Amino acid sequence: MSAALSAPGRRLPRSLLLGLVVLGLVLLLAALGPFLAPYDPDAFNMRARLRPPSAAHWFGTDEFGRDVFSRVLAGAHHSLLMGFGATAISLAIGVPLGLIAAFRRGLVEEAIMRGVDLLISLPPVLLGLLILAVTEPGLGKTILAVGLVYVPIMTRIARAVALDLLAEEFVEAARARGEGAFHILAREILPNAWPPLIVETALRVTFAILLGSALSFLGLGPQPPASEWGLMIAESRPFISEAPWIGLAPGLCLCLLLIAVNVVGEGLRDLLDPRLKGRGH
Amino acid sequence: MLEVAGLSLAYATRRGAVQALQGVSLAIPRGGAMGLVGESGSGKSSLVLALLGLLGKGASLSAERMRFAEDDLRAAAARLRGARIGTVFQDPAGALNPALRVGLQVAEPLMQHRGLAPRAALARAVELLGEMGLPRPAEVADAYPHQLSGGMKQRAVIATALACEPELLLLDEPTTALDVTVEAQILDLLERLRRERGVAMLLVSHNLGIVDRLCEEVTVLYAGRVVEQGPVQALLSAPLHPYTRGLLAALPRADRGGMQRLRPIPGSLPDLTRPDPGCHFRPRCPFAAPGCEAPQALRPAAAPEPGRGERGGDPAGLVRAAGVRRVLCHRAEALAGTPWPAEEAPPAARPPIGGTLLEAEGLAKRFRLGGGVLRLLAPRAEVRAVDGVSLALRRGEVLGLVGESGSGKSTLGRLLLRLLPADAGAIRLEGAPVPAEPGPGFRRRAQIVFQNPDGSLNPRQTVEQALLRPLLRFGIASGAAAEREVDRLLELVRLGPAYRARYPHQMSGGEKQRVAIARALASRPDLLVCDEAVSALDVSVQAAVLNLLEELRDRLGVGYLFISHDIGVVAHIADRIAVMYRGGVVEEGPVEAVLAPPYHPYTQALLSAVPLLGRRERAGARLRLAGDVSTPAPARGCRFAHRCPARLGPVCEEQAPPPRLAGPGHVIACHRPLEELARAPHALLAAE
Repeated sequence: MSAALSAPGRRLPRSLLLGLVVLGLVLLLAALGPFLAPYDPDAFNMRARLRPPSAAHWFGTDEFGRDVFSRVLAGAHHSLLMGFGATAISLAIGVPLGLIAAFRRGLVEEAIMRGVDLLISLPPVLLGLLILAVTEPGLGKTILAVGLVYVPIMTRIARAVALDLLAEEFVEAARARGEGAFHILAREILPNAWPPLIVETALRVTFAILLGSALSFLGLGPQPPASEWGLMIAESRPFISEAPWIGLAPGLCLCLLLIAVNVVGEGLRDLLDPRLKGRGH
Repeated sequence: MLEVAGLSLAYATRRGAVQALQGVSLAIPRGGAMGLVGESGSGKSSLVLALLGLLGKGASLSAERMRFAEDDLRAAAARLRGARIGTVFQDPAGALNPALRVGLQVAEPLMQHRGLAPRAALARAVELLGEMGLPRPAEVADAYPHQLSGGMKQRAVIATALACEPELLLLDEPTTALDVTVEAQILDLLERLRRERGVAMLLVSHNLGIVDRLCEEVTVLYAGRVVEQGPVQALLSAPLHPYTRGLLAALPRADRGGMQRLRPIPGSLPDLTRPDPGCHFRPRCPFAAPGCEAPQALRPAAAPEPGRGERGGDPAGLVRAAGVRRVLCHRAEALAGTPWPAEEAPPAARPPIGGTLLEAEGLAKRFRLGGGVLRLLAPRAEVRAVDGVSLALRRGEVLGLVGESGSGKSTLGRLLLRLLPADAGAIRLEGAPVPAEPGPGFRRRAQIVFQNPDGSLNPRQTVEQALLRPLLRFGIASGAAAEREVDRLLELVRLGPAYRARYPHQMSGGEKQRVAIARALASRPDLLVCDEAVSALDVSVQAAVLNLLEELRDRLGVGYLFISHDIGVVAHIADRIAVMYRGGVVEEGPVEAVLAPPYHPYTQALLSAVPLLGRRERAGARLRLAGDVSTPAPARGCRFAHRCPARLGPVCEEQAPPPRLAGPGHVIACHRPLEELARAPHALLAAE
């Protein structure tokens, strides 16, 4: 455990810096998108349908003559919200569950962990479908669904980290003071559990974005005319041979975002948890 | 045989080059044994790695001479290691591959270096294991490492190191991870190997006692430099260099008792990125004087009169031509008569021990063994870690708890604090029963200090946060009063207010242990369980912490349950000693009564296994135990019967031994009559 417990203060890995720059750029574009966009993302222009990329339309136009570049800019915040929002939800639910499971062994742990096993055995897309199919689709629901899908993984990681830490002597010293569960978990365990949890979170964002986009692609996310990237890719399908740019532009942006987030995640892992360096996932 | 001269070694780090070794010279003759001693950070292990040519990338090595027999070690190390140079490292569990059978691992160097066929190599491996004193070597060869006990593993490692009949054996803390009784077995084995095979040894150890037993010459390293070198008996009985003298003064000795305070060496290791050109012990040396800042040379010392280090002969016939004594201090001889100064004023008179503080009656705890870790030799589903222990501790008293690892010492300590739920038994604090889930009242009064200074402090909390928490939790102080209390606590453990803002990684092991003690004392407890509280510390730091604990006992009237495997430390600090074996107390009594006959046979074996300085002649009277603590015991009767060298007969296996009163407050649980036990030779002193 000692390596994970060692204090921060090492140099930032180069990959982390690079990833942060790209991610920052995406965040900036998402925030400023509406102001930068040359056209209204939802405005039809029937005279300029399926135009290839040009000086007027950098990424071309779609079947309704909407400017793809403007739509991609307007859709960035969907993907980001989905990735980070869903991960935040999984963290907020999964970590406390994992900590409680580790602390209260026995029946409580059994109940939590067997529930987790049950959820983890279902394919993520199927689980997402299940949650979304019974209600009206929408961005908020997609985020919630994706977040719930990743709760079991967070629970497992939090429990594993907490189990290691609970065996440490400073926790026993806290028990010898008669500290309650809340103090031990929140003050003694959690501050030391962050490094591995943050690393996992960062890597998890990638999957959340991907899963969110996949659900949108299946029509279970934001509804047209929203410009969510997954939805845009789905809508571009009929025109894939005559106007490939409609799907290519959001697809490439999605790729860029995923790579940036992933690089940040791996950089964080190198920074916070050097023992895991070079280990695949 | 082995000759090293002017060896220097530097590691590249971000802060600059660390001078791990500077101008180290030593020579071992054929069949000779050299001890290499020094505290952690002195460069002992670096020297071993340098000799083996196993230094990592960032190391730069230079030497005037590095010869092994007729070869230059710098070029030939890769060829020699494993074949003509055998190595034994500290941790036997790490040295063996858990996925391979032991026999194969012993046989491997034979196939590798001698080109033996697998079948012949395996046959030889079984022979070797037998020569190492392992019973049923064929079965051991067929076993996997996890099926062997620590001592058996270390024997297998030694067998591997000896497989190709090397002329030199490098032993890096070979017994540090082992219990004292197992350590004694391994030392016997090494001694026999020297006598029978004439193999030369370089024994690296922080334990002066085992160096004294095994070696005839010793080299003392301090922060990468040799400060003193010479024949072991003369050097240890009359050390010349102030560092060696300090090291010996700081050492608690089982045969000396606890009358006087230890004398710790102040300060800590110098910064090796900027080595001092002069004497680098100067900042810590009580004898520092003008002239010390000049570069020192390791020079032959004027030998002190030979009569001082007198020993009663040399039973093993190991002493060869005594080497020259060398010392790295220009004033060494001039200082020979000056005593090592006491750090502080002599301790205040100790207040008398008060009434009964804590009583335990019939405490028991069983652990269910999990599926995978079942020992092959003890296929039982349950371990009785603590089995009906009753004891009492008075105010201001120190009760030492000794025994091998696995005897249940730590479990008992945790049961007494109600950190583990007991299966049976009762605990009373000043007569009032302590419930299974005690309230803050008991928690405030009973605290604990752990062994590992790295693990006992939360790495994400400052010293101030760690000390404030118990104050607030138990309502002892708040606001400005709490701030003042933190300062007072730091002062109590001799740390300045500057430590308040520090995180654990910004402190040394000794400093962390002081903070852990301060945290335990913050609630003003009456009882402190010290679970191996000084075992992870270097001798000089250990002495300071032990003095601190004694001082706090005297000033605050705290009672200690002092758990330790180190008999020397317990003999120094304890008022009473309880000896534990397999979950039960076999002997208990005042310290001087327990350390002298009559003994419980286990106590006798434990004490006679302790390597003591300057008592080589004890060797003849040694009582050796077979096996180790994990050897299965009979279900009824005496828990020690299966290993007891003084077993009477079936009665030992069938009836629980009666507790006999051997003196005031001195109880021995043994079937043998007391008169017989009293005839045992004194285990710590020389045989008459």
